[in-house]
Amino acid sequence: MKGIVRNLGLTSTLAALLMTAAAVCAWEGVAGTRTEYEADRPPYQVIPPQQDPGSQEFPVPVKPLPLTITPCRSCHGPEKDFKINWSRSEILRVHTGIELKHGGIKVWCLDCHHPSERNFLLPLADGQLIPFSESYLLCGKCHGTKFRDWRHGVHGKRSGSWSGEKTYYLCVHCHDPHSPRFKSLEPLPPPSKPRTPQEKVAAH
Amino acid sequence: MTKPKDHFADEETILSQRGPGSRDQRKRAEAADCALPSRRSFLAGATALFGMMAVGSCSWEEFAQNNFQRMTKEEIDRTVERLKREYKAKYGKEFVVGAQRPIEGTLFAYGLDIQRCIGCRKCVYACVQENNLSRNPQIQYIRVLRFRNGSMDLEQSTIYYDPEKVPEDGYYYMPVQCQHCANAPCTKVCPVRATWSEPDGIVVVDYNWCIGCRYCMAACPYMGRWFNWTDPYIPTNEVNPETHYLGNRPRMRNVVEKCTFCIQRVRNGRYPACVEVCPVGARKFGNLLDPDSEISWLIRNKRVFRLKEELNTQPKFYYFFAT
Repeated sequence: MKGIVRNLGLTSTLAALLMTAAAVCAWEGVAGTRTEYEADRPPYQVIPPQQDPGSQEFPVPVKPLPLTITPCRSCHGPEKDFKINWSRSEILRVHTGIELKHGGIKVWCLDCHHPSERNFLLPLADGQLIPFSESYLLCGKCHGTKFRDWRHGVHGKRSGSWSGEKTYYLCVHCHDPHSPRFKSLEPLPPPSKPRTPQEKVAAH
Repeated sequence: MTKPKDHFADEETILSQRGPGSRDQRKRAEAADCALPSRRSFLAGATALFGMMAVGSCSWEEFAQNNFQRMTKEEIDRTVERLKREYKAKYGKEFVVGAQRPIEGTLFAYGLDIQRCIGCRKCVYACVQENNLSRNPQIQYIRVLRFRNGSMDLEQSTIYYDPEKVPEDGYYYMPVQCQHCANAPCTKVCPVRATWSEPDGIVVVDYNWCIGCRYCMAACPYMGRWFNWTDPYIPTNEVNPETHYLGNRPRMRNVVEKCTFCIQRVRNGRYPACVEVCPVGARKFGNLLDPDSEISWLIRNKRVFRLKEELNTQPKFYYFFAT
């Protein structure tokens, strides 16, 4: 495994030298090795909500993924070795349950999913891959202001205790990442209208 | 004798004071006082009896009960026990009637993101369930107003919208409930001090002390108060037995009631029911005195406004725009 990663890293360094695909380089370089220009820089530390100074510890319930898709690596892995489709494509093949409506036409699979490590999402700047259970870290990369509000409990929902232990709802609890717009709901019935005495008589 | 004539004093006592009577005579008069009720105590008793007859089903304990703010610890305990008995008899459930004092160092405030609210009315019905509101006649503490985009004219808004799906294009929604004003006009007009602001900022009503004059309803600019015109009806299987004396305990006819920020929940550290149920997380609640609370943060960092601020009611209910 390590050998493969190092090979990929080497390949990506070569690719970068050839000035072909800068993005591919970034993705592949993260799986374990750091490129030369990063070596002397301290890793960027992302503070998860529980380490936010001044706030308490917030337990986060993890939204379970559908069982059918969890072992992504069983298809997208060394065993079957599906070809990685680098070009933007709207054909989702077997992923029929997915309706891709995220940010218009600009966003597609490999903007969030890791091309080779399919059980993970794209990494943050420190190179650590993001598991699906911490997808909010990846959401924060584009939606920075919402992420900031969410960490202060102003965007999104908290439940539990206003003074003590509370639960954060993660981005994916309310927003389907593939089609993030909040779904419309059926409203509960309106209040009954007050009736005038005449109407009461007529009703009887 | 310079003492003015006291119409209510016992005749015998007056005579004994006026006359050149000995100490024995006075003693005898006092002994007579003990044996027979004086005119004063008789009148007091008779008035109370007539009062009791007038109010009908009211028990003697309930009738003689003091204002909650003036009750001693023992009186509160006795009242709570009585209420538990009454509710058990009526609804067949063991009730918890809390009387928790405010938590030191708290001042509650509320935030509502009107950009997020989708007008689904889930908060309205969660409130009805939590606070034992009357189903018939209908009482709902939260009114969800629907406005056309670009308008903030309260007269042009409606609470009776009923589309297939919400949110609707071209409209926005603004739920309104008691604003828990720091300078509450409703508490000032109460002639019997049955409603007041608690130290943690919650405006409460002592239902047993309320005389039902509805002055507070006329004074409130937010229509945040409701009157029980008849005996409230709550289905027995839907009664919430976790109650507070100043909050969601079942009410009686002819009293005013209102939102209490779910006092029975927030004084035990929990969020109000409407915050818990909101599907879009538009509702925020917390302690204003805590600089790290979400409500303090949003007031510092977001655009906020309060309803009818120009009336100087100083509400602790902040509407805000998240973006």
